Amino acid sequence: MKHVFTFDPDKCCACSACVIGCTDQNDIDLAGGEQCFRKTYDVEIPLQDGDVYYAYLSTACMHCKDAPCITACPVGCISKDPDTGFTIYDNTACIGCKSCAMACPFGAPRYRKEDGKMVKCDGCYMRVKNGMKPACVRACSFGAIDCVPEDEYLASGSNKACNALIDQLNLRKKI
Amino acid sequence: MTELEKRIKAKIPGEDTGIEIKHSLCAICSPAFHCGLDCYVKDGKIIKIEGSPDWPGSKGRVCTKGQSNRDYVYRPDRIQTPLKRVGARGEGKFEPISWDEALTIIAEKLNEVKAKYSAHSVAFYSGHCKWYRPILHRLCYSFGSVNFGTDDSTCFKANDIANKLTFGAGAGPNTPKANTFLGWNYGGYYAKHMSVAGVRALKERGGKVIIIDPRHTPAVKNLADLYLQIKPGTDGALALGMGKIIIDNNWIDADYIEKYVHGYEQYKALVQNYPLDKVCAITGLNADDIYEAARIYATNGPATVNFSGCTQTHHINGMQSTRAIHALIAITGNYDRPGGNVPGGVSYLHKNGGFTTREKEFRESLRPHDQLRIGETRFPIWDEYCDEFHAVDLIRQLEEGTPYPVKAFVGLGLNAKMLPESDRLLKAMADNLDFFVDADLFMTHSAKYADIVLPACSSLERGEMKAYEGGFLAYTSPVIEPQFESRSDVEWLCDLARKLDVDDELLKAGYEACCDWIIQDTGLTVADLKKSDMPVKVPTAKPANKPGTYLAGGCKTRSGKIEIYSEAIAAVDAKYGLNPLPDYQDPLYDQNDPEMVEKYPFNMVAGVRLPHTQHSRLHEAPWLRSLRPDPLCEINVEDAKRLGIQENDPVEISSPSGTIYAKAKVTHKFQPGTLMMIHGYTEANVNNLIVSTHLDPYSGYPGFKSARCTIRKYEEA
Repeated sequence: MKHVFTFDPDKCCACSACVIGCTDQNDIDLAGGEQCFRKTYDVEIPLQDGDVYYAYLSTACMHCKDAPCITACPVGCISKDPDTGFTIYDNTACIGCKSCAMACPFGAPRYRKEDGKMVKCDGCYMRVKNGMKPACVRACSFGAIDCVPEDEYLASGSNKACNALIDQLNLRKKI
Repeated sequence: MTELEKRIKAKIPGEDTGIEIKHSLCAICSPAFHCGLDCYVKDGKIIKIEGSPDWPGSKGRVCTKGQSNRDYVYRPDRIQTPLKRVGARGEGKFEPISWDEALTIIAEKLNEVKAKYSAHSVAFYSGHCKWYRPILHRLCYSFGSVNFGTDDSTCFKANDIANKLTFGAGAGPNTPKANTFLGWNYGGYYAKHMSVAGVRALKERGGKVIIIDPRHTPAVKNLADLYLQIKPGTDGALALGMGKIIIDNNWIDADYIEKYVHGYEQYKALVQNYPLDKVCAITGLNADDIYEAARIYATNGPATVNFSGCTQTHHINGMQSTRAIHALIAITGNYDRPGGNVPGGVSYLHKNGGFTTREKEFRESLRPHDQLRIGETRFPIWDEYCDEFHAVDLIRQLEEGTPYPVKAFVGLGLNAKMLPESDRLLKAMADNLDFFVDADLFMTHSAKYADIVLPACSSLERGEMKAYEGGFLAYTSPVIEPQFESRSDVEWLCDLARKLDVDDELLKAGYEACCDWIIQDTGLTVADLKKSDMPVKVPTAKPANKPGTYLAGGCKTRSGKIEIYSEAIAAVDAKYGLNPLPDYQDPLYDQNDPEMVEKYPFNMVAGVRLPHTQHSRLHEAPWLRSLRPDPLCEINVEDAKRLGIQENDPVEISSPSGTIYAKAKVTHKFQPGTLMMIHGYTEANVNNLIVSTHLDPYSGYPGFKSARCTIRKYEEA
């Protein structure tokens, strides 16, 4: 079943539990300088009216429907999981050219120094197929991140998509 | 990759993958939580952690800290064997010894001090962990020493004592039935993650959320309808000012006051000294916001106040400020009322499961009475309400040796960084102790001063008893074997009881026998609990009393009423200068002479919570450390600009008691004149800046969250 990640910026506090959940799931060597697939942001944005907007955000791969990383990869590592619809990969043939990361509007694919290959969030598609929530979702105590079947998401009015956080910031800038 | 390989890589539990889920609890932070964990175990190793969905209380949620249990348990610097010091105290040079040798040395040395001085010259002390405390407490008394102490001397207990002074019982928020949530220093997200859902639910059903905090936190952004960015430590003045507004507008509950409140007339006279303009000047708030906060709190139906564990009481005026907030609860009739603040008991170790245990008897029945405890005469209120020595007085008694010398110290997780002038305390210990043993998971800054260091294990490597809300008791099973030669603290404590041959057969019978004694009246035994790997429902557990029951029976205060005027404080010898009414004093009243003000113009708020730290225990956990590699001191943008300090610049921060070095983090989140910093870094220990006499005379608590200091850009030579 196709699944969708949602994010509610009014529930996030950038506590990074999602980052640690992802790190724990994917054995990412954070201390060794590798980057987690998910990242949080605690940002202060001075507004034109003198006020300050405090943004608390969490992002990873957006699992775009029309993912530019798939076409950007010269060796065809990246594909869509037919079941979940997540953007997954097999980096056996990866040449470490970083084209995927450059094509991605969110810079989601990471270059792993250890073996010179690309890695990224695969939506925990194996967990989802086994009826489990992705690691980051399970780690969030506040319901800020979720992963729901596409039909449920569409029925909910789609107003909590990951990309909404971008709109949210523009609105709050009061330009 | 085969399907099975994919399943193993994704850590899917199952017979084919060899991955099993085992249940335990996270003991990294407060015993008020101790969230249930699903530990994914393969080949005897934990490979992943998740919140356990059916665990009472946490129900599948864990915070950033709990999520990092694997990182914590497998920290590379775990102490592997018992160690004997071979270098100077603090140097960190040790050689491995056996458990038997270590315990033999400890028993000999403690008995030596007992023979040469007295049993009281041996202090038994627990750091942050609570789970073994009943055993340690009883061992201390069985040994014959009156000096059992813990980190309660700087954590939560002052709140508890303030509650007992005013209400004679606890005063927890009853958020589910409230219309207004007055979050006094409420941060929620980073320190009390399970509370956020309740506040959000209140908001979603149309309730009002007011947050009073010097810092703009995620709770302010996500939850507050009204935010009062108060000057640190001026909360008492705000509470008295709000009291005056409530009285002037006749928003009080006169019948309730008549029936249940003691000292209203004196309080009414007191708040006349806090007119709105004066309160604005003290707190830095604007009049409309203060008025609106008072109006909403008093007139919007049931209103509950959230008190944070110790944010308020970490000011030298903290206990009185807390009591000034209590007065608002009293005059509006919001105590022991649905949606107000409600009394609550404790079943076992800070948790209320709606049943009683014999914990208090177990701990306190053997207490000797032939000597004063450390701090007993300095902090009489503390001594009356807490069966522990006061750890902030330890530094003085070590240095002065009065009224008698402290010569040996049995520490479990001693962390001097949690006390003011930490390095001076460690020096006093190094200079004055004949013997010092410490147990810990890691070779800490404090453990380096010990003569014997014992390797402790984490909650995932031991079995422990724990109560949970909803009428539950748990006895956990180890998820993995103890790492290296580490042992469960209660095992070696009971072994030590045998080596010392104390006159206490129960203690010598071991932890499980002690637990059985403690839970005798619950209808369960440890054997029953061990049959389940989940918490078990206690047959004798009862639902909480209906609101009003406690008041109807009379408060457990001296007057039997809610005491705005505290008879217990009034009974203290006048030489201590304590005020039975919750009047306000400046949070820096002992540091306000003109010379000090000029030299140290900033107010340091130490210990502001980060989501991924818990005191110092996670600073060296590799994943979490990578989230914030450097100790940072936060400074307001305007102050930074004025002082030529930019983001990440090295800075030097000084107070009358010391100097530390950190990097600057420039922020808008609090007002100019304030600095904020997390505690617990060995290389930048902010508590070295807190003068050891900068204390609340009521609780003895240090003024961690208001202390004079100064900051400048640091140019390395």
